Amino acid sequence: MKHLLLVVSLGLFLTSLSGFATPSYKVTVNGMVCSFCAQGIEKKMKALSETKDIYVGLKNRLVVVEVKEGLTLSQDVIRKIIKDAGYEVKSIEVSEHPIEHIKSGMDK
Amino acid sequence: MFTCNFRLWVIPLILLSSHLVFAAPMGFEGSVMTMVDFNQNWREVGFNYAITSRDALGLTHLEFRSDDYKDKREVDTLNYTRLLSRWNSTDAQSNLWLFMGIGEIRGSANNQSIDSKGIASPGFQFDYETTRIYFAATHKLYRASNLNHDNTSIRAGFSFYEAEYNETQPWFILETKYTNQISDKIEVIPMLRLINKNIFVEGGMNNSGQPRLNLMYTF
Repeated sequence: MKHLLLVVSLGLFLTSLSGFATPSYKVTVNGMVCSFCAQGIEKKMKALSETKDIYVGLKNRLVVVEVKEGLTLSQDVIRKIIKDAGYEVKSIEVSEHPIEHIKSGMDK
Repeated sequence: MFTCNFRLWVIPLILLSSHLVFAAPMGFEGSVMTMVDFNQNWREVGFNYAITSRDALGLTHLEFRSDDYKDKREVDTLNYTRLLSRWNSTDAQSNLWLFMGIGEIRGSANNQSIDSKGIASPGFQFDYETTRIYFAATHKLYRASNLNHDNTSIRAGFSFYEAEYNETQPWFILETKYTNQISDKIEVIPMLRLINKNIFVEGGMNNSGQPRLNLMYTF
């Protein structure tokens, strides 16, 4: 029984670690009002080796970058890409959830 | 004499532009934007390459003619587009663009051929855009010896609904346009605009009943 509890606890611990090791960055972007003009953000973010997936939301001015498991991505890099694309970063939040969860609006 | 001075004046202007009056006259850094503007009396095709997020270099070929077809012009320019200033707010973006162009103009006046001349085509554009409304005012000079085809365009419109990034967004756009020394008319063109990421299409018909098609593609 003790062994079973130990294994379950270890499993939960590792799952939790894995969740934190692959955060998504929720970036609120000022000025992002047109898909034709916002392509640069998507292309440059996707080109990063750390990026697993990206979501651009025009209605909520949101860019979400999901990082590959085990990798980290500096917020400075995100800020630079968005600034170089001609926009302004209003805020960056770290979320434990993947993009699909955030897109569904459950990450509030 | 004037021609000589004119050429000296334009030599430092290896700064050229895309005149095509679209949502944004250049793409993101490293991108190539191709553009076509086509109607009965104004046909323009061009592309530019964004060397930075604020600067693009490109080439444009333009043909335009008078309403009676007696005056025709062909213009080839090397263009420089510069984003002078950008203002970002929570729900809007506005931009001030500088266009500089230098090249050659040729054609005919009253069906008589006119000599090829150097041309300079500097200009400005101010635009303001939200996810629901759009406004742009553009003025571009087309100046050569004894020729002045300055062009002014004002565009305003609204989107039918707010769209997500991956969705096609339809807009209604109304443009008024005037070109000096080629037509006395002010052209008024209501258009339907569709944007889906890197594809931009506009189509409409002007107040002379002539169809107009604008295309833009970024890759």
